[in-house]
Amino acid sequence: MLSRKKLLAWAIAVGSALTAVTVLATSAPTAAPTAVPATAPTTATAAAPAATPVAPAAEVKKASTSTADHSKFKELQKDFKEGPEVTKACLSCHTEAAKQVQHTKHWTWEFLNPETNQKLGKKNVINNFCTAVPSNYQFCTACHVGYGWKDDKFDFTKQENVDCVVCHDTTGKYRKLPGLAGHPAYEDTEFPPHSGKIVKAVDLKEVAQNVGKTSRQTCGACHFYGGGGDAVKHGDIDSSLQNPAKYLDVHMAKDGLNFTCATCHATTGHNVSGSRYTPTAMDKEKAHVRGKADNSNPATCQACHGTKPHPEKMVKLNEHTTKIACQTCHVPEFARGQATKMSWDWSTGGKMKDGKPYTEKDSAGKNSYDSKKGNFTWQHDVIPEYIWFNGKVDYTLRETKLDPSKVVKINTMNGSPTDGKSMIWPMKVFRGKQPYDSGNNQLVVFHTYGKDDSAYWGNFNWDKALEYGMKEIGAEYSGKYAFVETEMSWPITHMVAPKGDALTCAQCHDAKTGGRLKNVSGLYMPSTGRQNEWLDMGGWALALLTLLGVIIHGAGRIYMSNRKG
Amino acid sequence: MLKILSGFILGLIFIAFVGYIMAPGLMFHERVSPYGVEETVARIQQNIENTGNGWSLSGLRNPAKAVQTDGSNTLPVLMIEACSTKYSAPILKDDSVRFLSILMPCKISVYQKNDGKTYIGNMNAGLMGRMFGPMVGEVMSHVAADQAKFLEFDPSKPAPQMKVGTPGSGGAGGAAGGGGGC
Repeated sequence: MLSRKKLLAWAIAVGSALTAVTVLATSAPTAAPTAVPATAPTTATAAAPAATPVAPAAEVKKASTSTADHSKFKELQKDFKEGPEVTKACLSCHTEAAKQVQHTKHWTWEFLNPETNQKLGKKNVINNFCTAVPSNYQFCTACHVGYGWKDDKFDFTKQENVDCVVCHDTTGKYRKLPGLAGHPAYEDTEFPPHSGKIVKAVDLKEVAQNVGKTSRQTCGACHFYGGGGDAVKHGDIDSSLQNPAKYLDVHMAKDGLNFTCATCHATTGHNVSGSRYTPTAMDKEKAHVRGKADNSNPATCQACHGTKPHPEKMVKLNEHTTKIACQTCHVPEFARGQATKMSWDWSTGGKMKDGKPYTEKDSAGKNSYDSKKGNFTWQHDVIPEYIWFNGKVDYTLRETKLDPSKVVKINTMNGSPTDGKSMIWPMKVFRGKQPYDSGNNQLVVFHTYGKDDSAYWGNFNWDKALEYGMKEIGAEYSGKYAFVETEMSWPITHMVAPKGDALTCAQCHDAKTGGRLKNVSGLYMPSTGRQNEWLDMGGWALALLTLLGVIIHGAGRIYMSNRKG
Repeated sequence: MLKILSGFILGLIFIAFVGYIMAPGLMFHERVSPYGVEETVARIQQNIENTGNGWSLSGLRNPAKAVQTDGSNTLPVLMIEACSTKYSAPILKDDSVRFLSILMPCKISVYQKNDGKTYIGNMNAGLMGRMFGPMVGEVMSHVAADQAKFLEFDPSKPAPQMKVGTPGSGGAGGAAGGGGGC
């Protein structure tokens, strides 16, 4: 006879087995690695998932409240032949405008950083996109607020050289083409060359008679296309912001606040606020108030939202604002409207197919190779890299000596957890490979565009392009070049997502993966496995001592009670 | 006797609980892809078309777009739909298992997670099939074998172009219709 206990055990076992057979017909492995060799390339190439690319819709414009109808002005009734004639007409009323513009970075393309004493600006910085402006003025100055900057002899003092309408056009028909030294097309022009597409000649009279405030379209005409194309440079600024939906940017949403760029980048005397060279990493000022003189940057989040932007009961969130930039949580990913370029390898440029330059596309249909430029990778919905940043940026300039055995940081974003000026910021880190002077260990300027026989995009000859570029700036060149790996960081600040899409606690405080901030140093992060060892040890020691105390006290009480008994 | 019965029921409950906990991992596979979302999709699509056995692409859905339309964000996710009439026909012809048409077409999901990596998710066709009798089990075992081939990547081959939209329907992320052969 089986005992009752044995019967019970058997019943459990049989029940378990029966259920197991029924429910779990077979076991199967989970989360297995893919059947790909470990050496498989890990290109994170990706692009906009939208199956049907949507052309940017016309910007949603607010009704004009202007007190002047420029189409009625006598000065603007002429058939202007060239841009400077329009400027002359503008200046007949707006007498100080050109002088104001000529004091801005938009005009000089120069900036002296007062903190580092580095001479920056487009004229001086060598980046890891198209690299440098000198020797390529005629092409690059399509984005200059001026007319005629085709070489280093450009007259920066001539007021008629200022291009008023590039920022104030409201027709959407004013377009400056690369190669025309900042002029628009005055006659029908095939662009891009040999494409069969014709850009119509601009009607300067119509444009001049329809000027108005700056818009997303006018700012975006250059800033959306920085780095040589749409969405190339910034990651958080591209043509998807022309008319964005709410998911992409709560401030600029066409069906929401419908901000223009100038709503945040408030402008005084043509000087636009906000700077990539001296960003405001930590804004301790209170929100700006109308009528009150505020000297702090009006383009920060705090300028509107203050330093405690969350409801009072959300104490923890407001505590986070002392160390975490708003953008870190509220721009959880960038390039959400379309893919942004993430890397650029100039070293592979110059390949030919049947003796001709060619292009290739990646899986998402974005250019992944161009004989003129080398290889690229693109990615959308990019999770930023996070760093401590205090607003101080050091550049590797042409004069700076570099170590080619290491990745050269085009700009070093300074910051630390202990300097009291830093916050954790999201960054787009753009990685590249570009030529450098291997004799002098310095970055180089090279000649890309031109109708001469030295331009790289024409002859694909690095020696000639480098020699020409370096001669143009009067710099010494050893005659030897190689390619060096580079990195350039871009603080992410646009494309603010709806509040419901802000990072959740678990996205940073994640014990399993370490969370989003796993690579940020100097943090005490509960629930991430990155706690401070000494602090943890102290805590456990206190807990242990408490337990010991309780045991000893309890034992003492029992002992004493027994003695009395 | 009551204790024996209670023990038996407890055993059933225990195993049912274990099954409940483990079921998601058994019913579905998840693995990391060495490529980005679009390239992973493109390579799987190419594999599907090269596998034979009547497989063809039925569509590519983008559920993230719907979330965006609703004013919110989600990390990229694309769903590849594929079908083979060789495998779907026997099931669709049998009234007793025709309801399994809700599992058609065969889906493979490619998505990005918060760690920045690309993942591939798919149904464990072999296990699912065994639950619905010998005929379905047999068919689905072939489907499972082909599914494994869909996910074998050859890095020596260049990245193909991703095929967007639904063959035959002309729409992106639209209804997976007759164009895919199912």
